[in-house]
Amino acid sequence: MTEKTIYESMVERGLSRRDFLKLATLMTAALGLEYSQLPKVVHAMESKPRLPVIWLEFQDCAGCSEALTRSHDPYLTKLLFNDISVDYHETLFAAAGKQAEENKEKIMDEYEGQFVLVVEGSIPTKDNGVYCTIGGRSAIDLLEEAASKAMAIISVGTCASYGGLPHANPNPTGAVGVHDLVKDKPIIHVPGCPPIPEVITNTIAHVVLLGEIPELDSLGRPKAFYGQTVHDRCPRRPFYERGQFAESYDDAGAKAGWCLYKLGCKGPTTYSACATIKWNEGVSFPVQSNHPCLGCTEPDFWDGGGFYKSLAAPPGAEAARGAQAGFASLGGAALAVGSALYAKKVKQKAAEEFKAQKKKEA
Amino acid sequence: MDWLEFSRGPMFQVALLVFILGMVYRFLRVILMGWKKDYAPPRGSAAAGVVKTYVKGLGFLPFLPPKFPGTRHRPLTYIAGGMFHLGLFVVIFLSTPHVEAWRSVLGFGWPTAPTPLVDGFAAMAMIGMIILLSNRIVSPVGRMLTGLGEWLNWIVVFLPLLTGWVTYHHLFGMPYETLFTIHMLTVDWLLIWIPFSRISHFMTYFITRTVHGARFGRLGVEP
Repeated sequence: MTEKTIYESMVERGLSRRDFLKLATLMTAALGLEYSQLPKVVHAMESKPRLPVIWLEFQDCAGCSEALTRSHDPYLTKLLFNDISVDYHETLFAAAGKQAEENKEKIMDEYEGQFVLVVEGSIPTKDNGVYCTIGGRSAIDLLEEAASKAMAIISVGTCASYGGLPHANPNPTGAVGVHDLVKDKPIIHVPGCPPIPEVITNTIAHVVLLGEIPELDSLGRPKAFYGQTVHDRCPRRPFYERGQFAESYDDAGAKAGWCLYKLGCKGPTTYSACATIKWNEGVSFPVQSNHPCLGCTEPDFWDGGGFYKSLAAPPGAEAARGAQAGFASLGGAALAVGSALYAKKVKQKAAEEFKAQKKKEA
Repeated sequence: MDWLEFSRGPMFQVALLVFILGMVYRFLRVILMGWKKDYAPPRGSAAAGVVKTYVKGLGFLPFLPPKFPGTRHRPLTYIAGGMFHLGLFVVIFLSTPHVEAWRSVLGFGWPTAPTPLVDGFAAMAMIGMIILLSNRIVSPVGRMLTGLGEWLNWIVVFLPLLTGWVTYHHLFGMPYETLFTIHMLTVDWLLIWIPFSRISHFMTYFITRTVHGARFGRLGVEP
């Protein structure tokens, strides 16, 4: 841990001014900023000290960390590990146990109000949070401590952002996302299961480098990466417009690359840069690989009514709906029969009264 | 639960149940009213009368030239009404998202029409509705015959058509979920509204045709 700026530490590693400017330009583009913002990035890298990043994992599968290590942007990854310092990351850490925890405490105290806290995984709240403990302390406790000292929090993955898989019905551990517990710090959501690696690195870099929160959408996601739906940028979009849909995974339509809407694609309601940044060095993304989008960047996508059910199909269990429809039909029938019988009775009564009246008159 | 989930999930389910309950009630209530026994000897086949009336009602009358006797006095209503009904039929039963919805509700689906074709029919239905509404507003008789329920019928049917179109084509730069939510809410409202309104003629039409066809057939006259 030093007070050197990012530029200084790069010069120390033998990089030239030209290399630095090249990197700054790449960074500007990677952060989704306009070219006019380049001087801002250069200035930030020249003047700001390296800020530590603390990465906490709670109820997670470490898939987001796995994704991070597979970021195909070498500049950003190097930047993140060499120049921005990730000082605490349980999965990537060589150290473990008491030593590692002590180091974390030290950094949190030394850089209070300056470090960036990254959270991966949801936080269980049921039964005082006993379902996730580290070193004998509950996830709630650890999060509250770290959050109170952090400058900003980045919730990486759908679990940390919205509760994710642990939060899915019936949510046995009472899992919630970070923003459900922490109310007084800026929180950036980087949802996805996992998020695109470059989106993770770029968002962290943005906050650490520029010391500011990127522009967010209504769900707290950086607009630069979550501004458009998968459907908006989907290479299969023309087939949607034409109404050419694959009916199964191996029919002629699927082989011809037709739209997967009928097979349950959630692209139209899913905001993510999957179709543009793609995965594994830009090789492909789910829809390109002939699988519908699951909608993993959206809250409660696990409970969205089924991955393979068309977006047009109402969510919920078909059997229950059928049973209810049956009851509604019976109810309608009973109402009709009842009212018909009642009407008949009224009619009979009126007829009798009419007869009696006539008799009287006669 | 967000608005989209609400409008597609519980709200849709409630609307569907109200629709089913209401329509079953209306259907049985009409049938249970019964009709007087006809003691006269039949002069023709009631069944043949029913078949004839459907052939005429669905296969012949809608395809008459507008100047034909019986339609020539109000060709506008005739043409615009036809545009609306045919367009609506194609949109509801042949567009991809709707067939997927039917598949989910009924458990089976059927082939869908290409999107540009459905688009054409949807536009036709909406244009037909606008013509009919203008006609109603302009014509003094139309205005006198139209009560609050009729004006509402127009709105309740037009909104799902319009919002569906906008949603499918992602128009006006609004987020898809917002448009989808609005579309589903208008559909929910339509489903709830149908049993209480004259839109229920989509079903009662068939009762009327069947009963009259049978009676006319029995009497030995052209239905």
